[in-house]
Amino acid sequence: MKLTPFIVALGLLLLAGCEEQLPDTAIHFAIAQAPINLDPRYATDAASERVNRLIYQRLVEFDAASKPTPSLATWQKLSPTHYRFTLRNHVAAFHHGNPLTAADVKATYDSLLVLNDAPHAAEYRNINHIELINAQTLDFALTQPDADFPARLIIGILPKDLIEQKHDFAHQPVGNGVFAFVSWQRRLTLKRLRDHQLVTLTEVKDPTVRVLKLMRGETDLLQGDLPPELVQYLQTKSEVQVKTAKGTNFSYLGLNMQNPVLKQLNVRKAIAHAIDRDAIIKQVMVNDTRLAEVILPPEHYAGNASLPHAEYNPALAKQLLQSAGITLPLKLVYKTSTDAQRVRLATILQAQMAKAGIDLEIRSLDWGTFFAEVKQGNFQLYGLTWVGIRTPEIYSKVFGSQFMPPNGLNRGRYQDATLDALLQAENWPAVTARIHTQLPYIPLWYEGQVAVMQKNIQQYSPQSDGNWDNLASVQRSATKGQLQ
Amino acid sequence: MISRLFGFFTVIFGVLVLTFLLIHLVPGDPVEVMLGESASMADREALREQLGLNQPLITQFGTYLNKLAHGDLGQSIHTKTPITELFKTRYPASVQLALLSMLIGLLVGVPLGVYAALKAGRWQDVVVTVVSVRLSAMPVFWLGPILMLVFAVWLGWLPVSGMDEPAAIILPALTLGFGLSAILTRMTRTSLLEVLNEDFIRTARAKGLSERAVIVRHALRAALLPIVTIVGLQMGSLLAGTVITETIFSWDGIGRLLVESIEKRDYPVTQACVLAVALSYVVINFLTDIAYRLVDPRMRHA
Repeated sequence: MKLTPFIVALGLLLLAGCEEQLPDTAIHFAIAQAPINLDPRYATDAASERVNRLIYQRLVEFDAASKPTPSLATWQKLSPTHYRFTLRNHVAAFHHGNPLTAADVKATYDSLLVLNDAPHAAEYRNINHIELINAQTLDFALTQPDADFPARLIIGILPKDLIEQKHDFAHQPVGNGVFAFVSWQRRLTLKRLRDHQLVTLTEVKDPTVRVLKLMRGETDLLQGDLPPELVQYLQTKSEVQVKTAKGTNFSYLGLNMQNPVLKQLNVRKAIAHAIDRDAIIKQVMVNDTRLAEVILPPEHYAGNASLPHAEYNPALAKQLLQSAGITLPLKLVYKTSTDAQRVRLATILQAQMAKAGIDLEIRSLDWGTFFAEVKQGNFQLYGLTWVGIRTPEIYSKVFGSQFMPPNGLNRGRYQDATLDALLQAENWPAVTARIHTQLPYIPLWYEGQVAVMQKNIQQYSPQSDGNWDNLASVQRSATKGQLQ
Repeated sequence: MISRLFGFFTVIFGVLVLTFLLIHLVPGDPVEVMLGESASMADREALREQLGLNQPLITQFGTYLNKLAHGDLGQSIHTKTPITELFKTRYPASVQLALLSMLIGLLVGVPLGVYAALKAGRWQDVVVTVVSVRLSAMPVFWLGPILMLVFAVWLGWLPVSGMDEPAAIILPALTLGFGLSAILTRMTRTSLLEVLNEDFIRTARAKGLSERAVIVRHALRAALLPIVTIVGLQMGSLLAGTVITETIFSWDGIGRLLVESIEKRDYPVTQACVLAVALSYVVINFLTDIAYRLVDPRMRHA
């Protein structure tokens, strides 16, 4: 008898679930990881940067070959240490109504220079001072010459008045992008200014659940972070659209070049020949994944389309190991995160390398521990992906002798005087050829991008670096596909 | 009472010390996470100083305890959100989920256990035993999506995940509740079977009481002690956050917050979450002790 109220309460809860939902015109986007910080000076995670591209505008964008092109402003190089930026006419006003002027640009970059907890601040330490010429024009004076300087000006511009008020941009962003911030409780809601279309972004970590939400109609759009079997499953469903695109995010195996075994070029070549990349791409990667040879893709102005692929050849790999004086099996430890797809790839690599006489031990660590171990050089092999890389200075930062941690990204502690000289000369074809020959990384692939959406979602397709810029054009048509 | 309070503070202090030490021993620190690898040593040191991470561990711990004593849990290093603000939504979400899961576990598990005990050795007992063993063997990362598929996608009765609708709690609660009910079924059956062979049950029957009265008033009450123990232990685990279930169902509870904070090396959030979990356990243990005394009068004077 005493249980009755509980049963009634449970019944009411169930009934609540059966309520007719009010018409909802927002476009719902389920994402794997919610943004962390919507202040562009602090944002480092992919989700925050992708959202910030919608809310803020930057001085500079990139063309198809990843060369910097004017966005908010055009520029002139007055001297190797002096750049002048002029705002274009009719730039959009900030979402709180103030016009965007050169003073806002100066305030944004000045604020970066004085913040000591902003991850991007180090990029701008070369700025000596910023001088306001007029409401449309400002000059950047550098301490050292920097030919790539315009490509660094990719921080979203913030309004000066709100910077001075120490506004909480992290949680209530105000920019002049195509979307304005509406609210951020459990989901982030943005409003497209052109037509007042609402777009919500909700974190759903589990890929299976994201797909179930799409099938239930709780979400309209998914992008990336889906295992290939789910993509293949969705491709069989006529009620949804699956769109793929070539990607530019570079996956690789990192090697510890201070390890006496991995120091030997023949061992590194053996590892490259022990991996059947074609089979992995065909079997467990999404469509449009393609073989990679260096960090920047062939279409990038500092990429290299003429580099040969290392063929899968376990017999040759064995020979190379024996010629290096290695007693087989060669025992190596491979560190990776706990991400299911990463662990799966690790087990495939383990099986493939076994045929070449390499006994790969997998250590799967939580992200914080894994990344800390990589940065400390506490590894033999690890697997990671470079995301959203635009400028060729990545080659210096990753392979340059002077960029070993904690001063840079040369996690493998690679030292090569020849490469250093080529990097200094910015001879990108020679740089990429040298890296490809010496194999301080084992290149894997550029992962294909995938977006899945309801039938009534139009004008959306994935971008090569996984950004969400096409939310600026996405539309929902009147009819909706019914899923069974 | 004094010894109980002493035990309470000892446990909490031990948890604080251990958490503080362990989180600082794990590789990686918040400065690395915040600034990335491109930052200069000077920037790193400046931020370490700003966050107080350059201080000796004992000083950092003393500062932390001092703030805690003044009710200041601090703020997230990454989002700058006060931890009390985070807890205002996260902890009630975990409590709601825990209570409903336990309710489902009790409503399903105890009657089934009683039924199985009464039909011990017969086919009904076998069916209940097989079902409960199967349920307890189902991992939540499998059961959760199956329930989503059936109740959300196929039948369309409930939302798949999230916290936007009141009904969104039902599937995660069922996912956890089914597992609990299986444990409670087994425990109730075993405990009741032992009691049903006792002399006082024979006496009750000899007095002419109805079978229902014998079971409910005499046998079940006597069999409740181990069930209360299990409920207490499970409730503690539920309040500590059920990370996998919360993750699958996008349920913003304390478990997800704890795991995310560990991944980001967000020390203040991790410490606050572990403190909340420890407090939950202590309180639940205390309530379990009270429940023992209510169920078994002999323990009131123990």
